Amino acid sequence: MMSASTEAHEKGSPDFVVAHHFDSADTQFDAGRLGIWLFLVTEVLFFGGLFCAFFIYRNWYFDSFVEAHHHLDKQMGALNTVFLITSSLTMALAVRAAQRTKRSETVNMLFVTFLLAGCFLVVKYFEYTHKIHDGLLPGAMFSAQGFATQHAGVFFAIYFVMTGIHGLHVVIGMGLILWILIRAHRGDFSSRYYAPVEGVGLYWHLVDLIWIYLFPLLYLVG
Amino acid sequence: MAHADPHDHGHHSHGPDHVPHVTPLPIYLKTFATLVVLTVITVGASYINLGTSVNLALALIIATTKACVVAAFFMHLASDHKFHTAVFASSIVFLGIFVAFTMFDTSARGQFDAQKKNRPAQMTDPFAKATAAPSAAPAAAAAPAGATKAGAKP
Amino acid sequence: MSRAATADAVYDESGGKNYINAEKGVVSWLTTVDHKRIGLMYLVSTLTMFMIAGIFALILRIELMKAGEDFLTPAMYNQAFTLHGAMMVFLFIIPAIPGGLGNFILPIMIGAKDVAFPKLNLLSLYLYWTGSIFTASSIVSTGLDTGWTFYVPYSTTVSQTSVIAVTFGAFILGFSSILTGLNFIVTIHKLRAPGVTWYRLPLMLWAIYATSIVQILATPVLAITLLLLILERAFQVGIFDPKLGGDPVLYQHFFWFYSHPAVYIMILPGMGIISDIIAVHSHRRIFGYKAIAFSSVAIALVGFLVWGHHMFTSGQSELASTIFSFITFFVAVPSGVKVFNWTSTMWGGSIAWSTPMLYAMSFLFLFTIGGLTGLPLAMVGLDLHLHDTYFVVAHFHYVMMGGAVIAFIGGLHHWWPKMTGRMYHETPAKIACALIFVGFNMTFFTQFFLGTRGMPRRYHTYLDQFQPLHAFSTFGSWVLGAGLFLVLFTFIHSLLKGERAPKNPWGGKSLEWETSSPPPTENFHRTPVVTHGPYDFATTGK
Ligand code: HEM
Ligand SMILES: [Cu+2]
Repeated sequence: MMSASTEAHEKGSPDFVVAHHFDSADTQFDAGRLGIWLFLVTEVLFFGGLFCAFFIYRNWYFDSFVEAHHHLDKQMGALNTVFLITSSLTMALAVRAAQRTKRSETVNMLFVTFLLAGCFLVVKYFEYTHKIHDGLLPGAMFSAQGFATQHAGVFFAIYFVMTGIHGLHVVIGMGLILWILIRAHRGDFSSRYYAPVEGVGLYWHLVDLIWIYLFPLLYLVG
Repeated sequence: MAHADPHDHGHHSHGPDHVPHVTPLPIYLKTFATLVVLTVITVGASYINLGTSVNLALALIIATTKACVVAAFFMHLASDHKFHTAVFASSIVFLGIFVAFTMFDTSARGQFDAQKKNRPAQMTDPFAKATAAPSAAPAAAAAPAGATKAGAKP
Repeated sequence: MSRAATADAVYDESGGKNYINAEKGVVSWLTTVDHKRIGLMYLVSTLTMFMIAGIFALILRIELMKAGEDFLTPAMYNQAFTLHGAMMVFLFIIPAIPGGLGNFILPIMIGAKDVAFPKLNLLSLYLYWTGSIFTASSIVSTGLDTGWTFYVPYSTTVSQTSVIAVTFGAFILGFSSILTGLNFIVTIHKLRAPGVTWYRLPLMLWAIYATSIVQILATPVLAITLLLLILERAFQVGIFDPKLGGDPVLYQHFFWFYSHPAVYIMILPGMGIISDIIAVHSHRRIFGYKAIAFSSVAIALVGFLVWGHHMFTSGQSELASTIFSFITFFVAVPSGVKVFNWTSTMWGGSIAWSTPMLYAMSFLFLFTIGGLTGLPLAMVGLDLHLHDTYFVVAHFHYVMMGGAVIAFIGGLHHWWPKMTGRMYHETPAKIACALIFVGFNMTFFTQFFLGTRGMPRRYHTYLDQFQPLHAFSTFGSWVLGAGLFLVLFTFIHSLLKGERAPKNPWGGKSLEWETSSPPPTENFHRTPVVTHGPYDFATTGK
């Protein structure tokens, strides 16, 4: 997020310079954080459209939603919830380690976060293949037999789009975590400069936040 | 380019270096414990049938509690500039507007169909209709009164 | 004032170095993070799109000169109006003022060296280019015939044209717009020079700030809408498909939740420009500074509550129509507040009838007509008759073109000396302004009559009784086109032969007039300290 200026600057630590258009490291830091928060706002509204669709169709096709949601695996969903909240904890600890210039702790925590994100995707993979196998698919592709109600296809459309886009965010998050992991390993961060760790952290917590809503709405109450 | 905003609060050291605000470890651990407990509760509650709207409300309340905990401690909103909380809250407000106003439509469609059926519009001669239909009007007024009540609970 | 004197001395030291000649070569432009260069590249790009989309418009008008099929087949007509509309909206008017003028002027107006995230700013421009390529690629492939609104189910199940390419382009353009808004909000919060308090921001910046709020809150919904549209077309997921239990009207809610606020992305920066032009060229302290500032924010926020007024005939519930209709009238209040404040600012001022001021006058006239004709459209009963007629076409052209584009061209003249370091010739510039004003009214005022008499929009032909009005409208479009080309020639002439511009040609008081024309790369040689407001003119009227 930050643009480090090339011009030499006496401010800050040797491996970090305050960009020329900021008056202090604090301002630069706050600017970055405000920028991330604004970005998170756009993420909420982006997912918001899908939540809106979910509530409307749930109202209309209540019976279909109830019937269809029984085909999701609560245990798998709960397991994934545990993976994500744990990864949120380790991410928070990674930021905390970076704030205290604990290099190897930062790297380790990021690594655990990365692994937990991977676990989440593995579980998701098994869920998806199972659904595809059973023909529990969106709209026109829906081919499962034996449904008492008519509109399970709408439920699975929403299920796949929501979890698909969320999964995409997890993948992007893993890329970002890997990136700061490498930078942390290189020793880029210190108590004076850890903005990228914190920024990726905020993004990761948002991914968790969205799952916190997706899980009960899709798996538990339908 | 100073920090021209005297109302900002948060960390303020106007030196060249940023001094981080480090959250104590127990807070993170307690946050995590809360999240795990709430997850167990919400999964457990889903096995008990309390009526669908109660189940939904319960799930949403628990999810919102979890979300607030994550935002306050993992995302540091509790110790950050209040403005960041306002920014984030605005997204929820506008999402609420989006969902609520769309539902004014989707949950109230066809409310007046009964009335329309009783008084079909006469496009070729719209004004003649008004005088020709007095007998239909009272019947129409009775039916939709109930329909409006039933349909207008968004 | 002593500060001005010292500033002068400093600028003489600069030795003719400015942001344009600081570095040479195409690569230096493509890799720049200087907000002024990025702004200039935005201007050139968006104006090119304006020209292409404008040529489509002239072609449409020629087809409409006579009833019947003249030289465009109905299918070609559909593609031409779609591309005209989509390019005007997504490639020109939404990015032009914030991305072009806003980028250039915002950091200078607050005394900053750059925007908060300069690299992100460059990324916005690259995303704009990428999105434009996707959108414009449809011109050479199969075109697009859905209208700029991409309504389902036509766009998902019927249309044979390149819907996915264009909507994907618009999706990318959305990210460009979001990043610009994000950058501007952070910049205004964090990079104001000492003394630049919130109430010392030029009104242009309040408007840009309000616009940025809308960009942040509304554009993500467009992104998800277009993504769902693409998924629907590619995989028939059924969320908008009635055959599969979906709801096409829900698409319209999604679309207009973005696109109504988007009209404020178009008009708010224009209002900001007009506030600055009127104050500076009347040499008069702006009347009701806070009222204008807060009305911008109010318009931005209330603008989120009215989108359903585009859907009165879509089959949405009567309850929703009533609520949306009711709230729509409230948007007129802050807009009215602005018009009255602008008019009062001129009262007792010493007005210079320069070209920007003439554009501001055109704006007041045209925007007022555009705004007032919106009120009948907000009444459910009237809209049932006027919806999808030329009355709507006339209304939104009065707002978008008569409002936003006129303000944009006025702003271009106002800041042209600052951006290029050259003056333009007043006489041709004024003639162009007059041609545009006359041509615009000829083209579009007639369309109010056409609409009330039942001429539907989006048709290549019409009943014979509409012939004279349509022909008149087409003649008007030629006058309008001539005016726009004259603007182009005035600017080109100014670049080649124009006089050198002084620092402050109009006698403005805001910060951009205190640095040289064109400004140096760092905008100011030392961080300015501001001790007065942007409109502290000596004449305060009676
Ligand atoms: C150069 C002057 C312009 C002329 C002569 C012109 C003319 C037209 C014409 C003939 C149509 C098609 C009407 C129909 O068949 O329904 C149209 C539609 C439209 N125009 Fe323009 N226009 C001009 C400038 C603009 C500008 C500056 C904007 C926006 C900033 C704009 C936005 C639109 C939009 C959004 C549509 C609707 C397209 C659709 O129906 O999907 N126009 N214009
Ligand atoms: Cu609107």
